[in-house]
Amino acid sequence: MAAAPLSRVRRSILPQPGDGWAEIARRELPELAESEAVSKLQSWNLHVFMRATARISGVATPILPSDVIFVEPPLAQPA
Amino acid sequence: MYDLVIRNGMIVDGSGLPAYRGDVAVKDGRIAKVGRVVGAASREIDAGGKVVSPGFIDPHTHFDAQLLWDGYAKPALAHGVTTIVPGNCSLSLAPLRAEHRMKLVGMFNQIEEMPLKAFRDGVVWDWETFSEYIARIRKGLAINVAPLVGHSVLRLWVMGDAAMERTATDAEIEAMQGVLRECLEAGAVGLSTSYVDMDERLQPVPSRYADAREVDALAAVLGEYGRVLQIVPEFYDPDLTIARLDQLAELSLQHDIPTTFSPLFVGADSIAAVRRVMARVDEQFARGARVWPQVQTRPIDLSFCFAVPSLLFIRFPSWYRLMRFSAPEEVAAAFRDPERRAKLIAEAAPFDALWPRLVLRHAKTEANVQAIGKTLKEIARDRGVTPIEAMIDISLEEDLDAHFLSADMGHNDDAEVGALLAHPRVHIGASDGGAHILSFSTYGDTGYLFSNFVRERKMLSLEAAVKKLTADTAAIWGLSDRGHLRAGFAADIVVFDAATIGRGPENFVGDVPGGGWRYVRDSQGVDTVIVGGAVAWTAKDGYLDAQGAILPGPTAEKVAA
Repeated sequence: MAAAPLSRVRRSILPQPGDGWAEIARRELPELAESEAVSKLQSWNLHVFMRATARISGVATPILPSDVIFVEPPLAQPA
Repeated sequence: MYDLVIRNGMIVDGSGLPAYRGDVAVKDGRIAKVGRVVGAASREIDAGGKVVSPGFIDPHTHFDAQLLWDGYAKPALAHGVTTIVPGNCSLSLAPLRAEHRMKLVGMFNQIEEMPLKAFRDGVVWDWETFSEYIARIRKGLAINVAPLVGHSVLRLWVMGDAAMERTATDAEIEAMQGVLRECLEAGAVGLSTSYVDMDERLQPVPSRYADAREVDALAAVLGEYGRVLQIVPEFYDPDLTIARLDQLAELSLQHDIPTTFSPLFVGADSIAAVRRVMARVDEQFARGARVWPQVQTRPIDLSFCFAVPSLLFIRFPSWYRLMRFSAPEEVAAAFRDPERRAKLIAEAAPFDALWPRLVLRHAKTEANVQAIGKTLKEIARDRGVTPIEAMIDISLEEDLDAHFLSADMGHNDDAEVGALLAHPRVHIGASDGGAHILSFSTYGDTGYLFSNFVRERKMLSLEAAVKKLTADTAAIWGLSDRGHLRAGFAADIVVFDAATIGRGPENFVGDVPGGGWRYVRDSQGVDTVIVGGAVAWTAKDGYLDAQGAILPGPTAEKVAA
């Protein structure tokens, strides 16, 4: 018996090598201006953005290779 | 002639089937017969009126260090726990090169609140490889240990300090695979990783610098042996937790491995979120993935005194430095200094919600003994000061040996927690045994399952609760000869009184190396604990000689040739 397809959940990605906010914005939200896309990504990913506004251990990006990055806002949940 | 026969007990055999009256015979460390046993034995135990069940298995502990000075993992064994899984959350004590020992001590101190002095006075650093660590803890081992390899430690071993800075190269990933194989061959039960923990510098732990390629490569090695992957997800956020469990599901399906994530808490403000997570767990299990959420039985209580480091208040900068890094005399000096006192009070002002539920639980001076049991809010009103002023004043009056308790801080809705614990796709665990020893007792979760959720709330049957703690856990972790009372299985057995089993009150005891203290709970209603056929603890005689095993032990065969 085939399992039912997975229900839709909030879309996310894992960073690719060299990814910063701008790179992810250009790849995942190409329809938006880069600055707007970066702003949206940061607001959807406060768990990353707020963790390190400064450099982490000398790495230029605060995005870790293991970070889940949401590329859309939270889905509406049934009341 | 049997070595041991337990007679006239109610057999709860781990299968979940109804209890029945019978005997259990033990020979050469194994269960020889269950049912009516006629033959004689060198030793007999009368279990009349009591339950006889398989030993409990605790799948989420941090006894890594304690096992170096205490082979019983006290008091876990006295609660009926015969097998523990240390090495969770990406942290194990092997493999570990000499130059990284203090790094690990720092991480254990920061993440698991293990005192630095305990490592200094309780640990002789005479191992580096995983097999050397196993040989080291075997000395005096009385409880069974199914150790995980910590991903952060594995990275440090292969990459050195670069483990805390970057992704691994192909060659480094291949090297990690090789070392992980060596660990599994030496008896490791699996690999643990973390997506939330911060090290002693408040920087992400090494495992968080791993990319998906690295995790997949390590999971592939686990797949060669059919071993477990444990992770700590961002449990505070349901979307993040779901994203992680989806990753786990793909690894589980791709490499045919069991996976587990911990913790999963539920509180009044997270009921809907936890239901979303569990709905996703159900969907992934329906696909054939194994993604076991671990749920602890106890509510979140937090105790502290200012004589030892504490978690509470560390969100505030001045408090953080004081609580984590200062000697008691420095804390007292800060409390007495008007300027520093004012700053501390001002920083903690947003903590208003804490005071009505923060209770004075221990004091020695006559005046303060009268206030034991009162909330800081009540005490402050009596004294005509603010609650935080009262807390500081009492602490000074008691030479910092005043203890405060913030009870029921979360995971305390019994209806929701009980429903989770009874859920067929929930793994009971996440005790954190051996960790956070200065904030709360991580012992007695098994007794609390029986006292609160079986007897009091009737949300699980006795048989279902035993199955959860024994056969289910053994199956999830691939401990093929544990978890059942069945002929041929290892003789890990608990005899307990179903009417009284529980957890005792939380006590602060000074039994940690280096003159350290910890919160513990004694067992209640447990009569006898047997490990590998030997009586390891009784309520009458306490801890006795026994020989714990390393599980699953040196690899006999790989799953995939």
